[in-house]
Amino acid sequence: MQLGYFLFMLALALAVTILIRGMSPLRAHAAEEGHDHEHEHEHDHEHDRKHKHKLGHSHDTGVFSIDYYAYISAIRDWNPMFKVFFSLAVLIAVIAINSLYVSLFVLITMGFLTVVRGRIPLHQYISTLTIPIVFVLVGSLTIALSFARQPLGQYNLHLGFFYIYTSDADLLRMVNLMAKAMAAVSALFMMTLSTPSGEIISVMRKVHVPRLIVELMNMIYRYIFVIMETNRKMHDSAESRLGYVDYRTSVKSFSGTASNLLVVSLKKANAYYDALISRGYNGELLFLEREKKMDREQTVLGVVYFLCIVVLFAVQKAALFG
Amino acid sequence: MEPIIRIRDLHYAYNEQKMALNGIDLDIYEGEKIAVIGSNGAGKSTFFLNLNGVLSPESGEIRYRDTLITKKNLNDLRRAIGIVFQDADNQIIASTVEAEVSFGPMNMKLPLDEVRSRVDEALAYMNISTFRDRPPHYLSGGEKKRVSIADIIAMKTDIIVFDEPTAALDPLNAAMLEEVLNKLEAEGKTMLISTHDVDFAYRWTNRAIVFCGGRIIADDTPQNVFRNEDILNRASLKRPTMLDVYDILREKGLAPDLEVFPKTPAQLKAILG
Repeated sequence: MQLGYFLFMLALALAVTILIRGMSPLRAHAAEEGHDHEHEHEHDHEHDRKHKHKLGHSHDTGVFSIDYYAYISAIRDWNPMFKVFFSLAVLIAVIAINSLYVSLFVLITMGFLTVVRGRIPLHQYISTLTIPIVFVLVGSLTIALSFARQPLGQYNLHLGFFYIYTSDADLLRMVNLMAKAMAAVSALFMMTLSTPSGEIISVMRKVHVPRLIVELMNMIYRYIFVIMETNRKMHDSAESRLGYVDYRTSVKSFSGTASNLLVVSLKKANAYYDALISRGYNGELLFLEREKKMDREQTVLGVVYFLCIVVLFAVQKAALFG
Repeated sequence: MEPIIRIRDLHYAYNEQKMALNGIDLDIYEGEKIAVIGSNGAGKSTFFLNLNGVLSPESGEIRYRDTLITKKNLNDLRRAIGIVFQDADNQIIASTVEAEVSFGPMNMKLPLDEVRSRVDEALAYMNISTFRDRPPHYLSGGEKKRVSIADIIAMKTDIIVFDEPTAALDPLNAAMLEEVLNKLEAEGKTMLISTHDVDFAYRWTNRAIVFCGGRIIADDTPQNVFRNEDILNRASLKRPTMLDVYDILREKGLAPDLEVFPKTPAQLKAILG
């Protein structure tokens, strides 16, 4: 009883801290973090931008930091095809095997790959994981906890009119589910935090995803940054003219910026099309893709990794039936 | 000598009210450095887009090496003329520098090895080989400009058009650009450069074309164009500083009254003896 109570409170405390952390300016952290690295890589432009925003708030969003970390990752040179298929295979294995040991193993090793091998700062990794963690937690809490008028289950908490109750089996199910979900997410994050979008798109092209989709992805990826940049400039110029001084003005400025952004996008689309045509665009976006070698280390890693998963699974099965 | 490009009576209109280009006649010869000057909306950019076959003219003809350009051989024209657009952000399309530079050569359907070597060459030419794998949104303005020039260098076109290349560049990057232009000149490339920088046009080019209201109102050496008050007034152009200084010196009797016009401070010093 006591243990259950303790566990329950612990989970609650964890959920609350994570929720608060998720809502607090996680992005500002990302901007600060990014700053040092940009210095190393001599990104004058980015660097300037961050400085300019020291006083105000940061415009960086998750997209920006994920893209940036993919770009600086130390395992960026790995063959992108390997990374994509490795992470997908791990994802499928975790879900199909449905074992707590395998899930925890994947969670830890994928984190290791991203943080230690990829040299993504640990707190950055964790703060990127915060968003899925919150979802997983909220989702899986409902698996473990039930409500009733009478004291039921192994553990219960009396809250005036009703009881919240749970049991060891339910808690274990919740932990299992959470571990599985987080392991799946960490496998995908290993890929996204080490493979720039351009390379993921080129993998999709190689596995014959329809050309239309691949080209759209390519252009959308490029234009997200173009449009964000345009939006940032318009927002800044509105702000410098007191456009966000109170709620009413903010709403007005925001709507103005949004509609202007549409017009600017259309104009930009025209300019882009002219530039494409002038370089001989013929209805198909063709780019040179340089092969990144698949070295022995990666192959060995892949094979050993799956062996480990199988062994773990076997050990667990043996423990259950043995 | 045969011109590379011969344009006769070119007309173009964006809408029915106003002609953007109104009867353009122009011959471009191998190895020329042509300044295209004129105020905003005079038709320079429209002219470039017509020249490259991006926009198709209402009437008139373009001949490339004596072949009339029609819908069928439009791609020959695009292969022969490359445009470095004013805003690099409106030109860069790929998600890495290398892919970006390869776009033109890939469209020319060159063999992959050739594309690879051209990309390497163009990156080295613009001194951006280290940015090879970088996405364009992590480049500074000057770096983006270099990428947009490398785009065209990789295509190895006969003619390179620069649409206001110095706009939005800091002095250091502008100097870098002039260095690149000098390098291209040494290789005998034909270049058209639209610019509002009259000092640069006067100093650097050997032919100046003045656009005004969709027409070419002057086509001569920069010395002659910039000494023609009538043309300067019609196109609302400023005189180059060096020309003003030299005229003042001559007026005051401090410089010999020769028909030689210094283009740089060094040349002025040589004339003054």
